[in-house]
Amino acid sequence: MSVLECKELCKRYGRTAALEGLSFTVEPGRIVGLLGPNGSGKTTLIKLANGLLTPDAGYISVCDMAPGRESRSLVSYLPERTAIPLWMSAAQLLDFYGDFYADFRRDAAEEMLGHLNIHPRQVIKQMSKGTREKVQLIMVMSRAAKLYLLDEPIGGVDPATRDYILSTIIGNYNPEAAVVISTHLIADVEKVLDEVIFINQGQVMLQSSVDQIREEKGMSVDALFREVFKC
Amino acid sequence: MLRKLLKHEFRATGRIMLPMYLVLLATAVGSNLSGRWMIGSRFSAVSILGVLIVTAFGFAIFGVLLMSFVLMIQRFYKNLLQDEGYLMFTLPVSVHQHIWSKLIVSAVWFITTVLAVIGASLIVAYQGGFLREMLDFLRYFFQGLQKLKITEALNGTVYLVELFILVFLAMAAFSLQFYAALAAGHSQPNHKMLWSVGCFFGFQAVLQFSGTMLLIGLTRLDLFRYLKFDWDPTPAVAIHVGLLMSIGCVVIYGAIFYAVTTFFLKRHLNLE
Repeated sequence: MSVLECKELCKRYGRTAALEGLSFTVEPGRIVGLLGPNGSGKTTLIKLANGLLTPDAGYISVCDMAPGRESRSLVSYLPERTAIPLWMSAAQLLDFYGDFYADFRRDAAEEMLGHLNIHPRQVIKQMSKGTREKVQLIMVMSRAAKLYLLDEPIGGVDPATRDYILSTIIGNYNPEAAVVISTHLIADVEKVLDEVIFINQGQVMLQSSVDQIREEKGMSVDALFREVFKC
Repeated sequence: MLRKLLKHEFRATGRIMLPMYLVLLATAVGSNLSGRWMIGSRFSAVSILGVLIVTAFGFAIFGVLLMSFVLMIQRFYKNLLQDEGYLMFTLPVSVHQHIWSKLIVSAVWFITTVLAVIGASLIVAYQGGFLREMLDFLRYFFQGLQKLKITEALNGTVYLVELFILVFLAMAAFSLQFYAALAAGHSQPNHKMLWSVGCFFGFQAVLQFSGTMLLIGLTRLDLFRYLKFDWDPTPAVAIHVGLLMSIGCVVIYGAIFYAVTTFFLKRHLNLE
């Protein structure tokens, strides 16, 4: 059973097409890079998978379910923006995730917060932007979900934080789950990916395993991306 | 899940409302003491301080009433339609549960605020013998009630219940009009708040127009004559009918905006 499946998926914003007949599947146990330039439709696709948008045509399913209330309990989503309530303390945020998600591993989250020296009473608002993003990632990765959808997890952070974020992803995801990482910073994520989907102007340009790209094309994913999306 | 949403909604709003009530309580006690000992003192500084405390009480009443209203809009807007919406709309809960949690919590704070203002006003009015006067008043009140006929007492109680239901539903429906306008306005790609304000006044205009047309239509139709229904109610029954019809109208008014809110949040959610 595929964890994420799209068939001829279309989404328009007014006259502008964000996705045009997008089709692909993501199998469990894979870390997939959803790669494409800015405005290629990555965020739209992730929003559709979360039920934050409704498709105009085509079909999208998560664990054989249309995105909705049931599928949301299986998906752990890291949005591009800081969505955690800033007025909450770290402990209140743990309560929040624990209340709504049966698969939330509070002990794992507390351990990761401890490594960052974040006190449970510390209020999110008092944290730096980078720390807020780390806390949000910790909450997302502390779930034993079936599908992790991470939208630009390393965008706008320093290289040291990028390393922290990637190691947190790799060290905490459920091995039976699929991880979809949307980004255009390919060089940084390439080392953790099993598979890549190149997306441009709302269409899939390539879906391949990273090993296959290296063997058949003789180049890194980053180099292939630069070649495919050359301006 | 609704229970969990309510828990976190009360947590989010309580951190603002409870300190407001504390300020109201403190200024009420201060006003009481000012009235007794400070205002009219031969030391002008003390007298001015007393006046300032009483003024602060006035501002506290205004502040707490305003805050319960602002919070009703702000929580819906910030928690569902701004960045927090990415978290809230990906929880395994339905749109209906989101709306009900906001509605229930808003209504509870509205009612608590009214009770808090009444309580604070009683504190300000409290003087030596005040409690005795209150108890005397209540005794006379209940003695008066005992002289009433059973039907009068029953009618009075039912009026109060109907009025309470009407006020509660009217508050919820009024909140829903704001929610519907915000949800509709935020489905637009740009100028979301401007669209929301426009939608609110648009809804208001449609509501007033259709309400007026309905009234004119019903008056012209002369429904009772048309139905050959000879109805000549007693004043007591007429009040009940009036209140129940008002409740019915408010339910319809609320249901329309509830449907609009759910439609836009389910089908046209467009978070930035």
